[in-house]
Parts: sequence; structure tokens; C-alpha cells
Amino acid sequence: MEFLMSIVVLCVLVSIGVWLFIARQGDAEFEFMVKDRTPFILEELTETTATFSCKVPFMNKGTQDGTIMDAYPRHLLPYEQFDGVEVTSRMELMTAPRTDNYFEAVIIPYGTGGAVAITVIFTAKKGSIQAALDEMCELTVDMAIDIVYQIVARTPWYIHKTRMMMTCTEIMDAMQTKSAAN
Amino acid sequence: MEELELLPVRTRILTDKDNIVDMIVKYAQENVGPDDVVSVAESVVAITQGRITRPEDLKICFLARILCRFVPQKGSLSSVYGMQSAMDAEGQLRILFAMMIGMVAKVFGKNGVFYELAGPQAALVDDVTGTMPPFDKCLVYGPHEPKQVAEEIKRRLGCFGAAVADVNDLKRAAVLGVSEGLDPKKLARILIDNPFGNASQRTPIVIIKNYGKVEQRSEGKA
Repeated sequence: MEFLMSIVVLCVLVSIGVWLFIARQGDAEFEFMVKDRTPFILEELTETTATFSCKVPFMNKGTQDGTIMDAYPRHLLPYEQFDGVEVTSRMELMTAPRTDNYFEAVIIPYGTGGAVAITVIFTAKKGSIQAALDEMCELTVDMAIDIVYQIVARTPWYIHKTRMMMTCTEIMDAMQTKSAAN
Repeated sequence: MEELELLPVRTRILTDKDNIVDMIVKYAQENVGPDDVVSVAESVVAITQGRITRPEDLKICFLARILCRFVPQKGSLSSVYGMQSAMDAEGQLRILFAMMIGMVAKVFGKNGVFYELAGPQAALVDDVTGTMPPFDKCLVYGPHEPKQVAEEIKRRLGCFGAAVADVNDLKRAAVLGVSEGLDPKKLARILIDNPFGNASQRTPIVIIKNYGKVEQRSEGKA
């Protein structure tokens, strides 16, 4: 009986020890710092399209290395809100630029981070993009963009979303800055 | 007098729809002579054998969640999916046993016991990011029967020999399978600088030119 009790006590102690070890070890913890992002700038303007981009820093604030397996921007502009443009968006690592909207999985050591570039392309459904974006601004339409990212680390994978807003004021500012520069 | 020369061969991205030997014949045959050894990256052999899985497709057991915590961060088994894939390949109990013995051995200053006991796949599985797109989001197991693959390459190309090698930029090289008569340790030393490149899927084949002649010469001297 005493032997059995010793085994049980030993198992409990080992379990507590493992639990404490894991709790102390922690895990990766990612944050996309949308408050610290750069303003959108107008990269390219044609008769029917306008291409904007901004940079968003991110950080692994946790205590373990983590992998961003996938990440992409999800723009949200329903036609009920504004029907004058079609939107496409993509996201890429600043350290691994590419234009195919493929996010190559990357390990981010704890305590470090990086930045992603988000590109948003508006295409006018009718007429010029300038007129469409003017109308968007008149209607004070701001567009939400969710940064969606899939993380895998010591724990099973999970998907997080961080929301940022692309305001119509920001769009107009970027258009004016570009035209002033020209 | 001929010297050893390493000649990486670029291919398109190979997938599980490809036969690795056919691809080596297609991309490398014209540069392969009778004194050459053809080496191929093990992860690409594994990919062509369909030995890949997505983390999303793995069912994680409680033990994998716990044991991955005891693997240093840089190891593929430090993620719960790397550990689970090793368990799926080698068995839960074997991995558990190897981990327990490995920990005890470490206490006594002996490293590497876990990998000696856990089975070959525990050391060979590549976690996500281990390979280049489109397989960067997959785990890649070690190749199946690398020796037979090497023999088949040798037979089809009529070369001096062939090898399936696991080489990385951290100056670690292991030759998993060789055709008859080749010394895997010697080949590992030749490939130690990772001529496959960091993204070995782009140049998964490396021809070791003049290996046979250099071998004959060194044997003659001996």
C-alpha cells in the first residue's frame, strides 16, 4: 500500500513539475502593431486603378520562437457601403518581397519582429478611379482591413486577426501628396 | 589530372507527381559521366515520394504537446507538429522511451541519445519552413528506402555511384543512402558546404564530377 502511495505521489509531483516547466517556458505571442503602421502612400495611379501601400510592424512578444505559417490582408468593402470600386489586396514580408500574394512561412525568434507591406489596389467599376475615390470620400467610406495570420509554435496552430482602418481621408491625403509631388 | 568538382543542377520545383529518378535523368543526364557520383537532396526525394503532411491534417495527441516542450527551440521536434509527425512515424512509446532515456543521459553529460533511440524519422523530419514554397507550410518526413533510390539512380544513369544526402547550411551533412561501394562518410565530407544551396529544391541534384578517378588515384597511392 505504501509503495502504491509512493508511486501516486511521485506521479503527482512529476505532473506538477512538468506543468510548472511548461508554464514558465511560455510560448510565442505575436502582435501586428497596426497603431504603429506607416500612412498609406499612393504607389501608382492610372486612369482606372490606384495602388496604395503601407508598412505594418509585427513582433513576437512571447518567450518562444514562433512561425507565421500564413498571413494575408482581408479587405472589407461591401457593395452596400460603396459600389464604385473593386478592391484587391496583398501582403508580403519586407524582407522577402514578392507580388504573388503568397506568404512564405517564416520563423520569428522570440523578442524579434519585422514588418509587412500591405498593398491595396482600387479599380474603378465605371469611369476614372479619381472620380470613384472622390465619391468614396464624399460618402466618408472607411475600409476595414483585417490582417489574418496563422501561427504555429509550441502549441497547435491558431489564426488571429488584427484590424486596421484605411480611411477615406487617408486615401485623399495620399492622392494629394502624390499629385503635389508631381 | 582530374579533381573533384561539385556541379549543382537546377530543376523546376519537384512535387509528388514526379519520379525523382526520371527527373534526375531529365535534368542531369547530359552532365553525368561514368566517373561521377550523383547526389540528391533527401527532402526533395521525400517530397517526390509524397512523404509530406500539413500540420492541419495531423491529429495532435496529449503526449506530443508535452514532449515537444523538452526539445530545444531550433529542433524540428520542438513544435507540436514536428513531435506528432515523429510519433506517427516511429510510434508514441518509442519516442517517449527515447525522450526519458535521453533526458537521463543528458543529466550524465551524454547528448544525442534521444535521436539515437527515437528512430531515423525523428532526426529527419523537417518542420514547416524547412523547405521552400509551396512546401514551406508542410512537414517533410525523411525519404523512403534511400539506398534503393541511390541504386536506381546509378542504374539509370550509368554513373560511378549515387547518394541521397541530408545537408544544411549549419555544416551538417548526413548521407542516408548510397549505391554499392560508396563510403557515406566520405561523401558527407565532400558535401559539407551544402552545394545544394539553402533552397535545395531549386538545385536538388549535385553531380560530384570525377569521383571515380580521384578514388582510384587515392587507392593507388595507398
